[in-house]
Amino acid sequence: MSLCLVVTVFQSVAAVEIAANPDVPMKQLTRNELQAIFTMRLRAWPNGLPVRVFVLPDNAPLHSEFVKEKLSIFPYVLRNYWDRMVFSGTGQFPIELSSVAEMRDRLADTPGSVGYLPAELIDQRVRALKVINP
Amino acid sequence: MMRKQTMFKTIVALCFGLSWASHCQAEGDSKQSKQSAGLWDTVSSWKLPDTVQIHGFASQSYIHTSGNEFFGHSTNMGSLDFTEMGLNGSWRPIPQLQTSMQVVYRRAGKTDNQNVRLDFGFLDYNIINNGDTLFGVRGGRVFNPYGLYNDTRDMPFTRPSIFLPQSIYFDVNRNFSLSGDGVQIYAEHRTNFGNFSLQINGIYPRTDDPELNLNILGNSSGYLTGDLSWMGRLSYETDNGKIKLSVTSAEINSHYKPLSVAANFCRDLPGTLCAGQFQFSPILFSARYIDGNWGLTGEYALRPTSFQNFGPSLPNISLTGESYYIQGHYRFAPQWEALLRYDVIYDNRDDRSGQKTAALTGYPAYTHFAKDITFGLRYDVTPWWMLRAEYHLINGVSWAPATENQDNTDQHWNMFAFSTSFRF
Repeated sequence: MSLCLVVTVFQSVAAVEIAANPDVPMKQLTRNELQAIFTMRLRAWPNGLPVRVFVLPDNAPLHSEFVKEKLSIFPYVLRNYWDRMVFSGTGQFPIELSSVAEMRDRLADTPGSVGYLPAELIDQRVRALKVINP
Repeated sequence: MMRKQTMFKTIVALCFGLSWASHCQAEGDSKQSKQSAGLWDTVSSWKLPDTVQIHGFASQSYIHTSGNEFFGHSTNMGSLDFTEMGLNGSWRPIPQLQTSMQVVYRRAGKTDNQNVRLDFGFLDYNIINNGDTLFGVRGGRVFNPYGLYNDTRDMPFTRPSIFLPQSIYFDVNRNFSLSGDGVQIYAEHRTNFGNFSLQINGIYPRTDDPELNLNILGNSSGYLTGDLSWMGRLSYETDNGKIKLSVTSAEINSHYKPLSVAANFCRDLPGTLCAGQFQFSPILFSARYIDGNWGLTGEYALRPTSFQNFGPSLPNISLTGESYYIQGHYRFAPQWEALLRYDVIYDNRDDRSGQKTAALTGYPAYTHFAKDITFGLRYDVTPWWMLRAEYHLINGVSWAPATENQDNTDQHWNMFAFSTSFRF
């Protein structure tokens, strides 16, 4: 019971982190790279591996937190970017996953994948990517 | 005609190709889970690559007008003649190369031929693609980079309202506006103070809109054909997406060829056109500001058009139309958005009241301008189902379809529209 309480409190204060498959040849991202990845413009990593972007549904609290904090925009604005790319034929949608647990498993299993996780769920199977200002 | 048939066959082939492929994947997945043997093992090895995406949309609108028909018989009981359905597919076999297409079926009263058409279909090759820079080329049927909304104007969810501001995005000429056949070169660059992007098209425009033909040619028999045309758009956007500015410039060329019989007496018979050229060379300035749940958008266009060598029935003429709108949106609850817009068009900026033109043409002055105040409401029931309602208070009939309103028009009219749209 008390453990549950601790976990709940911990989760509510934990920050969202950018997470990637360990194959991704980056330890940190510039702000431009982060924007290019999640607006679906970056198609390959520097070593040629295709970029696979994972997200949670628009109404998931973690998605909202990630979009507002890391990308500094609103989820509906990001959705509009994606729609404009797909329905003008110039890009593709990210892959939408249903839960944080699925996000962690798919990030661990999929080469070239990138997404986000609560900081405390990042283990050795995935890699946290820091954002630096160029 | 030949070209149309070939195009149609290509569309059908591609549609069947894609639907067959997705069918294979669905079958493969279900059988895999049941672990049955035999033929299904072969089928299940036929998995659709995860670089293939298929999406679509469908929308049905109801339109009621107090006067003047818009997309069907919208007066009296109202019209259900506005239907849009689209299938969008893309495949990225290698990161640098993407092929995309969108096939659309559309009904819009007499302004549309109500057929299945390829809205875009092209190969897109990224020559440079990193976090800072994107540069590449697209070839095939490419969308026209025009203003803020043209690129995805056929997709109801990406529009700000059921009808785009008609002063700039004429729905009655949507094929002509939407895309053309040719090449697009594109570039994007991210800097510390924002993102710059540029698209330049060299295309042959589509000239199959019934309304375009009527507006340019009247009732003359013959063909309007697109000639090599140019369009370019330069945009700037802050990296938080709050401010977006762009300027679009274009030179769209087409020529008219009368039926051979008519060509012989076009100089003698009033109302008959000789072989001539039509040019449209707009310049458009766009600005958008979004702050959290609200935003302001405005666009201003100068639209020079010229008619040359059509013979005595249509003397050489050049005139400049003017269009602008200002629009605000506010998301007052998570799934709700309200919109307010004021939209104005003048057919000739040297005669905004239309009275000089009326004296020349005999058509009433109010047919040469339109001012539209729009109130709109959007409700996203779910991420894939959207409802919209809007009310327009309109003075003037400049953009009311000529194909549907030949003689009697009303200067002051209003329009109510309701739409239900789905996507997958």
